[in-house]
Amino acid sequence: MTYRILAKRAASALGFTALLFSVHVQAADSILTYKGSDRTAKLVAGAKKEKKLTVYSALTVNQALRPLTEGFKKKYPFVETEFWRGSSRQIAKKVNAEIRANSLVADVLEGSGLSQIMVKARGVVKFTTPLTEGIDKKFLDPNDQWIPSRFSYFGTAYNTKIIPTGTQPKTYDDLLNPKWKGKIAWRIGSETGALLFITNVRQILGDKKAEVFFQKLSAQGLINFRGSARTLVNRVVQGEYPLAIQIFAHHPVISAKKGAPVATQMMEPVVSVNGTIMLPKGVKNPHTALLFVDYYLSKEGQEVLKKARYFPVAAGVKPRKELAPLVPALSGVKENFVSPATLFANRKASTAVFNKYFKSGKTVTVKSKKKKKKKE
Amino acid sequence: MNKQGSNQHAVGLRQENGQWNFFGYSPLVIILAAILIVLILPAVIYLFQASFHETNFDGSFGDFTIRYYIELVTGERFLNNCLNALIYALGSAIVAISIGVTLAWIVERTNTPFRHWVLILSIVSLGIPSVLYTISFLMLLGKAGPVNQLLMVLLGANEPILNVYSLWGMVIVEGIEFAPLSFLLLSSVFRSTDASFEEASMMSGANILQTFRNITFRLAMPGILALVILIFIRAFESFETPALVGLPGGVSVLTTDIYESIEEMPANYGQAGAFSIMLLLIVGVLLYFYNQLSRKAERFQTITGKGFRPRELDLGQWRWLTFSILVLLFFVIIGFPLGIVFWVSMVPYFDGISLNALQLFTFDNYRTIARAGSLQDSLGNTIALGVAAATLVAPFTALCAWLAVRRHKGAWILDQFATAPLIFPAIVMGMAFLQLILNLPFGLYGTLLSIILASMVRYLPYGMRYSYAGILQIHTELEEASAMSGARQSTTFIRIVMPLVAPAMLTCWLFVFLVSVKAVSIPILLAGPKSQVVAITLFDMWENGITNELAALGMSWTAFMTAISIVFYWLAKRYGLTLR
Repeated sequence: MTYRILAKRAASALGFTALLFSVHVQAADSILTYKGSDRTAKLVAGAKKEKKLTVYSALTVNQALRPLTEGFKKKYPFVETEFWRGSSRQIAKKVNAEIRANSLVADVLEGSGLSQIMVKARGVVKFTTPLTEGIDKKFLDPNDQWIPSRFSYFGTAYNTKIIPTGTQPKTYDDLLNPKWKGKIAWRIGSETGALLFITNVRQILGDKKAEVFFQKLSAQGLINFRGSARTLVNRVVQGEYPLAIQIFAHHPVISAKKGAPVATQMMEPVVSVNGTIMLPKGVKNPHTALLFVDYYLSKEGQEVLKKARYFPVAAGVKPRKELAPLVPALSGVKENFVSPATLFANRKASTAVFNKYFKSGKTVTVKSKKKKKKKE
Repeated sequence: MNKQGSNQHAVGLRQENGQWNFFGYSPLVIILAAILIVLILPAVIYLFQASFHETNFDGSFGDFTIRYYIELVTGERFLNNCLNALIYALGSAIVAISIGVTLAWIVERTNTPFRHWVLILSIVSLGIPSVLYTISFLMLLGKAGPVNQLLMVLLGANEPILNVYSLWGMVIVEGIEFAPLSFLLLSSVFRSTDASFEEASMMSGANILQTFRNITFRLAMPGILALVILIFIRAFESFETPALVGLPGGVSVLTTDIYESIEEMPANYGQAGAFSIMLLLIVGVLLYFYNQLSRKAERFQTITGKGFRPRELDLGQWRWLTFSILVLLFFVIIGFPLGIVFWVSMVPYFDGISLNALQLFTFDNYRTIARAGSLQDSLGNTIALGVAAATLVAPFTALCAWLAVRRHKGAWILDQFATAPLIFPAIVMGMAFLQLILNLPFGLYGTLLSIILASMVRYLPYGMRYSYAGILQIHTELEEASAMSGARQSTTFIRIVMPLVAPAMLTCWLFVFLVSVKAVSIPILLAGPKSQVVAITLFDMWENGITNELAALGMSWTAFMTAISIVFYWLAKRYGLTLR
């Protein structure tokens, strides 16, 4: 198996890819934005020739990514479907490198905070599908370079064994209470972790007041956690960290249902974003990729998402009942929706805040960091 | 050989006795040197390039700049991380050597019962991937782990006492991980000390402890010091422990800075490049000192022409104390780490060690990993990587070493080139190859081939060490006879030298196999979704919180690798090769 791959790579090293590549791009352009009534038939015919699909996504593997690709494979058994799970940043990095090194593997990309990076790096292509009709127009990209794939609402997870319900921090200001010192973790190295938290606070308070807030927050000795959001919630369940801010609000709800000592506290205004799905520049299996996007946005695909307790975007599929309280629009809580464009526009300023107050490695221990800040 | 000598003044290209000569250089030397240059130089050049250019959004080179170096010198971050790395590396070396000295002394110089079973430590530890080993300590010492559980009960605290995600945590984990290596190398030091000095000390009325302090330890001092530097360098350039233990706790060192710069979005290859170059320089300087020191260590040689045999001290009743120490260390180094991994692999979710959890014991995790297709791919890739890297390195270095040992004209350059990658920490090698591959016009990125190439270059020096030792044992007579009978250089090598160095090559093969499948640093930067290897899969599983399946995969993999490790040790012992 592996040697076959090796042999193939060797062949591509000889320059065959370059040839195939250009042919693909030409064929691809026409189908990507094709709107005729025989679109699906054309896609299926094309997919039968391509026979392969590789999805890069930030969705959780067991609950969403595997069921989705398996569901797709059931529908189109002639397609060999593979997936790779990575954070949005990892996906962006990999795909850009693949494009640059002329060895594109990915056919479909999905993640939150991914679209603008890919657009900026000119790593995506325009594409359309009739299934966007089921999505509210305000969430669509005017340039057709991505399509919203899911909604995410963020809250604070806390271990109910360590912090009994009722005593948990309920507002952003509560986080500054000295009793939470050294107990709050958040995700770094992600577009929707610390960075989104900072962007959110900056939008709510304005940069000046936010600066004061961050100064106080940095004195709390936040734990910079590298890893997926799901892992962070697992650590809260284990008691490794009592509190985790800026986590996907539904993760603790899922765990709590299995009996884990964890709960979500929504903090007003609730910050939310939408994930995006897109196709990389020079996509090798455009027909199959489009078929997958269609499947993803279809009722069938959205139901899989719903079952995995994500928040669907299309085909009129509503989120699960137990998750409804987390959706501000349904629970009547204030919401701060951060669009991919806003998220990206704020990335530089928020990164600067992060580097100034929260970046690791400046000091060895949390204590000495605090002292330094005071001196300043 | 004489023939060779008379040809040295030959000018230009000519053929003599069916053998080509280019200005007196054997074509073999030229070809091998060319291969080495092609393998090593472009990657190094691109690494330098990266550090002197802005990084564009898509990762390509932007304008020329020296700002990364200026930032390094002016920012506090670099100095701070150097300091962290220093404390971490020195601490690890001290922990490893303390354990190593204790073990080596007990095993080599006392009559403690069951002492020779300690070799198991070295065998198993060579089979455990460092990622898994580090993770096992995070499970043990983490807030939900048994150590904290126990401390909380003992001290009556309601909060975990220890925070393993810290500098001391890194020191402990890395120190214990290097303990078996340190034991192994110190064993040979203690073994080669003339016991008559100790006997003289005892005769003069010193007790065991005094003798150990004044004689045994002092005689071993140069060896120990050299080892301190060796482990210091290894820890300084290590990546797994700093990434898994240090980063979550906010402790950065140089290697994790390289990784973090690459992980930034957009990837900051310039900064990563500058960090890499600095790390390269530091390791280069350290290695220079190491070589100086190992040379000096020869002055303390105590084995002379007279008959000698290291004496075993009769400890009397005390031997049961040393026995308990052995047992304790055995559990700390292998027993507890593997024990917790096994426990975690058997439960559906881990929230500490308890009797209740025993009822939940299940093989589900093993079943899941046996079914997951992606894991089988990653197993296949890993074995292909190990086999390919080892198969490339072993004969290649044997050939280079042979030419160098037999002093063919210009062959010293082969030795120099093949040993040069030693100053490249694995993460820097990964970064250099990443830059090279990203700038090549053909699709090498994300392929297994790219990982194989980078690993091959990284482990060339190890191959050289084994091959050199093997070739030195062979006298030239047989080769001369072959040449006299009219064989070409290549024929002589294949028909005469190869069979003779086969054991050394096989040991070298196994060693390169074992280290290349264990490593994280190179594949973490180069692997694509279709070229995942086990070490990276374990790393990803940890970051994605799939802990129980990780443990199951880790257990199975360790069992498999330990089997290979046993073969390696048996061979190495059989043919008397040094085990570094």
